Amino acid sequence: MTTALLIAHGLLAVALLGAITHQAASVLWPVAKPAGSIVGRFRAVAAPGYANTVVILYVLTAILGAVIYAEYRISVRIVLEELKLNAANVSFELKEHLAAIGLGMLPAYWWSWRQPGGSLRAPLTAILAFVVWWNFLTGHVVNNIRGFGS
Amino acid sequence: MRFATFAIVFAVVYAVAYALSVWKNYALFTYHPALNEFGLGVQKAKDGPAMYWYGWMATSAIAGGIAGFAACFLPEPAARRLWPGLAWLVPLCAMLFFAWLLRGYFLR
Repeated sequence: MTTALLIAHGLLAVALLGAITHQAASVLWPVAKPAGSIVGRFRAVAAPGYANTVVILYVLTAILGAVIYAEYRISVRIVLEELKLNAANVSFELKEHLAAIGLGMLPAYWWSWRQPGGSLRAPLTAILAFVVWWNFLTGHVVNNIRGFGS
Repeated sequence: MRFATFAIVFAVVYAVAYALSVWKNYALFTYHPALNEFGLGVQKAKDGPAMYWYGWMATSAIAGGIAGFAACFLPEPAARRLWPGLAWLVPLCAMLFFAWLLRGYFLR
């Protein structure tokens, strides 16, 4: 059951990563003229349309993460501590704190995308994008820690 | 304007309350995953580890919710003086605080 939930958590995280990266690119690096290249088209998305999706995916990913976190605490973290994998252990600890703080930013983030040209969009989206990327990479590395770097 | 005030105050108070909750361990409840048991407040580990993360978030959500809700009753001129940038600046500072708090483990 935990494995199924972990896979679902990972898949939701991939979708969230795609949505927030598209949105962050479009708000931080907007295209000035009609996009021709693939990078230009990546940046030229209708960013406001992603806000609801990002909020829903963030909450769902966090809920699933919270559900499987107990199993991590019992089965995985103890092993990381015994193997003295401090960087992985503390990166995961930072992930939990970033995820929690990100949850508190969601109402302001959602509101900022409801305002035409809101000044909060860029910083809130950039911070949430950083949180999502950090959490995705950390989760991925810790999930594969037995093979990673060995 | 009301939701904007709520959202800004919630983001600020939630981040501060979360940082304080973790730092001083003000968990609203404790979860004992090995026993699948919840206990009110901060409890010591029983059989296996004790988890406070859920309790920290609950403490922070209540603090943020109450503060945000109360801020909605501020007079309009006072609410307008609230700088919206606090909604990202304070959570960012809270994140940096955690990076600082955990720096010792990274450097071990």
